[in-house]
Amino acid sequence: MQRILYLIQKEFRQILREPAFLGLIFGAPLIQVLILGFAITTDVKNVPMIMVDQDHSQMSNRLVEAFSNTKSFHFLGQVGTAKEAVHLLDRNKIKLAVVIPPHFERDLKTGRQPRVQLLADGVDGNSAGVALSYANQIALKLQKQWFPRLPHAPGTVKEIHLTGIEARMLYNPSLESVNNIVPGILAVLVMLITSFLTGMTIVREKEIGTLEQLMVTPIRRGELILGKVIPLIIVGLLLFTIAIISAGLVFGLWMKGNILTLYGMSLLFMMTTLGMGIFASTLARNQQQSMFITWFLGIFAILLSGFFIPIENMPRVIQWITYLNPVRYFMIVIREIYLKGTALHYLWKEALEMTVFGGAMLTMATLRFHKRVG
Amino acid sequence: MSQIQNSNTADTVPMEDDTMAVSVRELTRNFGKFTAVDRVSFSVQKGEIFGFLGANGAGKTTTIRMLCGLLLPTSGQASIAGFNVYTEAEQIKMHIGYMSQRFSLYEDLTVRENIQFYGGVYGLSRKQIKEKTRELLDYLNLWDQANKLTADLPLGWKQRMALSTTLLHDPQIIFLDEPTSGVDPVSRRNFWLLIYKLAARGKTVFVTTHYMDEAEYCNRLSIMRFGKIVEIGPPGELKAKYHARTMQDVFMNIEHREER
Ligand SMILES: Nc1ncnc2c1ncn2[C@@H]1O[C@H](COP(=O)(O)OP(=O)(O)OP(=O)(O)O)[C@@H](O)[C@H]1O
Ligand SMILES: [Mg+2]
Repeated sequence: MQRILYLIQKEFRQILREPAFLGLIFGAPLIQVLILGFAITTDVKNVPMIMVDQDHSQMSNRLVEAFSNTKSFHFLGQVGTAKEAVHLLDRNKIKLAVVIPPHFERDLKTGRQPRVQLLADGVDGNSAGVALSYANQIALKLQKQWFPRLPHAPGTVKEIHLTGIEARMLYNPSLESVNNIVPGILAVLVMLITSFLTGMTIVREKEIGTLEQLMVTPIRRGELILGKVIPLIIVGLLLFTIAIISAGLVFGLWMKGNILTLYGMSLLFMMTTLGMGIFASTLARNQQQSMFITWFLGIFAILLSGFFIPIENMPRVIQWITYLNPVRYFMIVIREIYLKGTALHYLWKEALEMTVFGGAMLTMATLRFHKRVG
Repeated sequence: MSQIQNSNTADTVPMEDDTMAVSVRELTRNFGKFTAVDRVSFSVQKGEIFGFLGANGAGKTTTIRMLCGLLLPTSGQASIAGFNVYTEAEQIKMHIGYMSQRFSLYEDLTVRENIQFYGGVYGLSRKQIKEKTRELLDYLNLWDQANKLTADLPLGWKQRMALSTTLLHDPQIIFLDEPTSGVDPVSRRNFWLLIYKLAARGKTVFVTTHYMDEAEYCNRLSIMRFGKIVEIGPPGELKAKYHARTMQDVFMNIEHREER
């Protein structure tokens, strides 16, 4: 026990003396929240879309043409029914479908208001919102061209009504992607930093030669690992806190739920990431290799976590695989706590999953970590 | 090729008489197909200064690592302070000090912090650490540098300090892997004075070196080449055998002879 304290003390002394570490701890969360937060949520280009023309009139043709000729949309063609369009949306082939109802031209000419339906994939709420407003602009432009030439009752056609926007993100009804992205960034941040740092601080000692020196002392394997991991947990939580505050100040997004619940969940989650770092350190000979291994594993885990791509939009087989991904559970937990303020007792399943995976990962990594060289 | 199985070696290590600090038989280590240490046998008496010579890549470090319980042998037997390297690596670690070929202190900690840390890791009490720190700083004459980063010390001092920290837990046997490489002649002399003091206190010192003048200071030497021990004995005997005036001549002679 006493040995662990000496290890922790040493680790903190080293961290506090290394400007790069300090920069990483305080700078990284802020910068990452800023850059990712803004980068992910702007610019909309080449939104893949299709059209469903159920009228096949001159006017509906004009509308189809207008959509196929803009840079904002990547026009993929037409399908016969709205049902097919929804299917494509579900499979993530398109982000937007424009459905022109039957009798579109006749209704327009007779002054009845036809309803053009826009179906949008609301997963990335921000891009969806921007795409919808582009679509509206195109429709309005056409309407202005048609308006003076309509034979009957000019003035009755004020607007092509755009309805039926399908928001898929139940917990993000305002379609604000910041709300969804930011908690995700926090999760990714905790994950990357703790696994990177664990791997790197161990491998650094391997490189310098001090690890070999530690291995000839009577220190126990478990003590050595705890002595490495405890300081990094503290650093991880500190960094997490800074990121939470940054997100609040920059995006005005503060968590609805209990912060202690979130910290507790982060600790459970960190078992996995710390284990990953230790695992990487047993494979790597130098810090670059260690970084590469954690990065490689990390990218997979992030891609399959539902951070960018919603899990329900993934192919079935991949969906099953995500159940083996602890990041998936933490992603759910952090979004629930942040956006809905979900209480602990609704999240016990995720907590359990993270404990099981974290425990397994830590055990495996520890078993691989020998008090020997080569 | 001796094909001794690792699993049977554990209980067949000979319990040598108590005067042996290290006893090694047919010790072998392969890295893949490459044999870094090839059926090496020798023993070191308590209180002896035992030198290990050999060109780069001869297998000195690999041998030491096996003796320290850092590397599992492929085959053969070794016992250190009466403990088996296969099964009792952790007991061995209580009784040895090891200064690796690479610098083994934390350069970003101060002299005092290093002593404190290693003392703590070896399980010394707070009071013992305080005493040891005072003792070591006195001994090494490092009071002025106590709160300086270790990185800023001259190499000769660093090495003496590294040696001192490997002695914090008062080990019986001390393994030193090229402790003086890159160190100036005066500091090397000082370092060897320390080694002599240790031997005088009954410690066994196992030291590798590339300096032939240092070889002369050893009680006994072994010369390694391509993983094998090709010569072993006191410096005087070796010189007589090769009709050489210095160990340098002996060493060159052996390297030459083996080349042909
Ligand atoms: N972990 C390892 N994997 C593969 N080969 C190794 C490993 N460790 C050592 N070797 C090889 O074993 C041989 C002996 O190495 P060793 O370090 O024991 O030599 P040495 O006598 O200490 O040399 P030096 O004087 O340069 O320190 C070298 O050829 C080295 O490349
Ligand atoms: Mg060596």
